[in-house]
This record gives sequence, structure tokens and C-alpha cells, in this order.
Amino acid sequence: MHSERGGKPTSVRGARDQKLKLSDRWHSYTSHHKTTFRDAFKKMIFEPAQTLMTVMVIAIALALPSALLLALQNVQQLGGGIEASSQLTVYVNKQAEAPQIKKLQQQISALPGVAAIDYISSDQALVEFEELSGFGQALQYLDDNPLPAAFVVKPDSLSVSAHAKDLVVALQSFDYVSEVQVDMLWLERLSAMTDIGKKLVLAIGLAFVAGVVLVIGNTIRLSIENRKEEIIVVKLIGATDAYVRRPFLYSGFLLGFFGGLNASVLLLVGSFWIGQSVTSLVALYSSGYSVIGLNVTGVLGLCMVGSMIGLCGAWLAVMQHLRAIQPR
Amino acid sequence: MIRLDNISKRYPSGLEALKRVSLELDAGEMTFLTGPSGAGKSTLLKLLMLVERPSSGALLINGKNINRLSRSAIPGYRRQIGVVFQNHQLLSDRTVFDNVALPLLICGYSPVETGRRVRAALDSVGLLQKEKNYPLTLSGGEQQRVGIARAVVHKPKILLADEPTGNLDPQLSSEIMALFRRFQHVGVTVLIATHDIDLINQLNHRIIRLDDGRLSEGDNHAQ
Repeated sequence: MHSERGGKPTSVRGARDQKLKLSDRWHSYTSHHKTTFRDAFKKMIFEPAQTLMTVMVIAIALALPSALLLALQNVQQLGGGIEASSQLTVYVNKQAEAPQIKKLQQQISALPGVAAIDYISSDQALVEFEELSGFGQALQYLDDNPLPAAFVVKPDSLSVSAHAKDLVVALQSFDYVSEVQVDMLWLERLSAMTDIGKKLVLAIGLAFVAGVVLVIGNTIRLSIENRKEEIIVVKLIGATDAYVRRPFLYSGFLLGFFGGLNASVLLLVGSFWIGQSVTSLVALYSSGYSVIGLNVTGVLGLCMVGSMIGLCGAWLAVMQHLRAIQPR
Repeated sequence: MIRLDNISKRYPSGLEALKRVSLELDAGEMTFLTGPSGAGKSTLLKLLMLVERPSSGALLINGKNINRLSRSAIPGYRRQIGVVFQNHQLLSDRTVFDNVALPLLICGYSPVETGRRVRAALDSVGLLQKEKNYPLTLSGGEQQRVGIARAVVHKPKILLADEPTGNLDPQLSSEIMALFRRFQHVGVTVLIATHDIDLINQLNHRIIRLDDGRLSEGDNHAQ
């Protein structure tokens, strides 16, 4: 028809050449992931100041709630240590004679939930009081030993539970028992307070996580704006949404990951620094208490949480802004 | 290969860029699309690139109505066409090689195959030695040739060009045109929008003239 004008087509190529083997596609898909990851990493290093600032903002925002959580765990551990050594003091009526005391001792030993029992006679109590209080001189002016004999009862259950309250009731019901003193009430209060603390940490943590998502979202939004031209070109050439999205998701992931890693470093340095003071304080109390720091699981967890938050933030930004960028 | 059936395009601003345009381009044909500025040349190319959708009418590529393509099917369609832009649209932070490799990367070619095809495409536009250069270090004509290499590297069946010689002198312009003819000779359907009347009068190809959104008498297809 008009072939003499334009020249005859020699062959119709193109359609055949578009067909790619599945293995090739998979190979290039994975290799594109690798290159995108590498590029995202390079872009971060290319703008060190910008990257460092974003990473540190994320790190601090992750480290603060984590530090609170660690502090809470330490308080709980402290409480737990005391709970384990918590005891009941059963004061014996002054009228009780040796046989009655012996009988009482047998009765207490037979109670369920009693792990150990220790008898402190009024004489022993006086000696101890003299040594510890420094009022030894004053006591010598008294005609009589005012201190009652007592049993120190160690319950076997470590927790402050209804079981311990049953024990108190049982002990009070015995003859010649004048008073049962429980050192557990403040532990219940502590446990209630740590419950509040946990909720507080959760709330603060969620607020900070939301903050990190927004920070990363904003950073990714800026980099989308910066690469607008490029996005339009690759879309015109036939890039899918997933292809365009990928480098930004990797950037967010990396920002979050390094934020988590830096948060771990902050926490490790912080707990080491505070730990030294605590150790010297604990030495003064000659207690075996040691500070719970960040362990390997904690570091991995922080990195993982950071990465996930980064991915979410990037996804949010990408969903919002990428669709709006279309070739005109 | 390309068929427009009563295509109209009205922009939201009320501007009617194309008014009931019908035309047909055969496979392996090279056609010039010409007309004054604002006649609807760019709009027609945008419809073919699926950057814009027609307000009415049917647009058939290879017998398939591309108006019905969903958003997610657009990338796949665009991979089958090659586009040369007036302002090159090269990425300045990537080398010539990486720019040309972009369509292959998007399509999912292996690195070995990509290297082979990119070099073949650069060779066909005579820029094989410049593969490591950055676009901004090249002259306008060279940049346009890189743009052409990128448009043909994945061997599209259709090649669209929007004012490909817009900023070039006559000597370079005819070199670029010679390149397009080489692709047409291997079976690519080529559609070039240009207002360079002198140039297209030298060449003996079909000319479609648009005037105020309508096909004017200029279509010498039937002559």
C-alpha cells in the first residue's frame, strides 16, 4: 500500500522478545531487591548528617520507653528478691511457758505453706536488740525484759497471695499468739504500683512508636519529593507501583533498623553507667542484687521493632504520596 | 497496529484537545504527526502512552481496546511501547548505561542479557564509547540519542516520539530521523510528533496533520 514509501518491514520482532523465562524473572527480581537495598544504603551514607539526625531521633524515641521498661523490670526484680525473703513474725504471749511454746512451735510447723520456722526467745531478742539498736545501756535500767519471744515463719510460696493471708489467719487462731506481723502489705502496694508503671510504659511506648512512624514517614515523604522526576520517568517507562515503592520501603526499613541499633547502644551505655553506681550502692547493703541490663534478645527485639516501625512509616508515606505522582 | 476510532479528549478545564479523531497506523509504518502548537499532537501521544484517557471513542492497539485497561495493567502496556521525549527525560544521577538499562531492569532481564542489549542499543545510536558518561556531560544531540536508545532497548513494537528534534540543528535532526527509519526498517511502528515541516517534507513518509483537535486534509495516507 505505502510500503514503497516507508520501506518494507523485514520482520515483526518485539512480541517474541518480550517473553522472559520465569527463572530469569525470579533472578532479576531478587537481584533488583539487592540493588535497591544497596542503593538505599548508599543514599543514606551519601547524606550522613541528614541520616544521622533521623536515626538519632528514632534511637532516642525508642530508647526512652525501653529505658522505662528496663527500670520497671529492675524494680520488679528488687521486689521479687524481698518477696522471696519475706517472712511473718509471730509474737508469743508473755504468759506462755516452755511447754506451751514447744506445742505452738509444733502447731506452726504443721501448717501448710510454712517452709521454715525459727524461734527467738525473749533473751535472744534482747541481746539482738542491744547489739543493733545501741540502746543497750538504757535497757539495763529496766527490771524486766520487755521483749516477747517470737517465731519467725517463712512461707514457702514466693508470691504475696491469698495463701499467705490464710496462713496469717491460721497463726492468729493459735493460743498464746499475741500478734502476727506481716511484712507483705508494702509488697502488695509495690506490685500494684508496678502494674500502673507497666501501663504507663505501654502508653508512653505507643506514643513514641507513633512519633517514630511519623518521623520516618516525613523523611520518606521528603525523599519522594526529591525523586519526583525519577518516579515520573520510570512510571512512563512502565515501572509497576511495587517497583517504584521498593527503594522507599527499604529506606524506611534501614532507618528504623539503625534507629533500633542505636537505641540499643544508648541503653547499653546508659545501663552500664547507672549499673556501676548501683553496684557500689548494693555493696553497701551487702545484697546480691544486680542490675538487669539489655540482653541480646533485647537488642534484636529493638532492631526488629525499629525495622518494622520504619517499614510502616515508609509504607504510610508511600501510600499517601506515590499515587499522586503521575506523568502529565 | 494503532487505531483511533472517533477519539475525543476534553480536559477538565473545558479545553477540547481532540475532536472525533479517527485514524489507523499499520504495523511497521513510520508516520509524522504535525500541526501548530496546541493542535492536539501531545494529547494524542499522551493517550497512546495512557498518561491521559480519552473522553470518548475507542483506542485500539493490536486490536485491543486499551481504554479498558485497569490501572494495574498500565505498566505492562507501557513496556510494549518505546517513547522518546522532547526533553530526553534522562536521569542525571545515572550513567548513560544505567539510563538505557532502566526499561530492561523494570521488565526483569538478567544482568548479562541487560548488558548485551544496552550495548547493542548504544551501538545502534553510535554512543557505545559514552556508556560511562553522565547525561549532563553530553551534547543535546547525544542526549537525545541516549533517549532513543532507551526507548528501543527492550525492542518495543511501537515507538512514539514527541518533538525528538525540537532543540537540534538540521544536521543533527536528519541524523535522528535516519535512526528512526532504521528502527522502522526492522518492523517497529513509528509515530513522530513534530512541527519541523522542512524536515518531514524531505522525507517520504505519511504525514498526519492536526488542526485545532481535528484531522485536517494533510493525511496523505490515501494519496
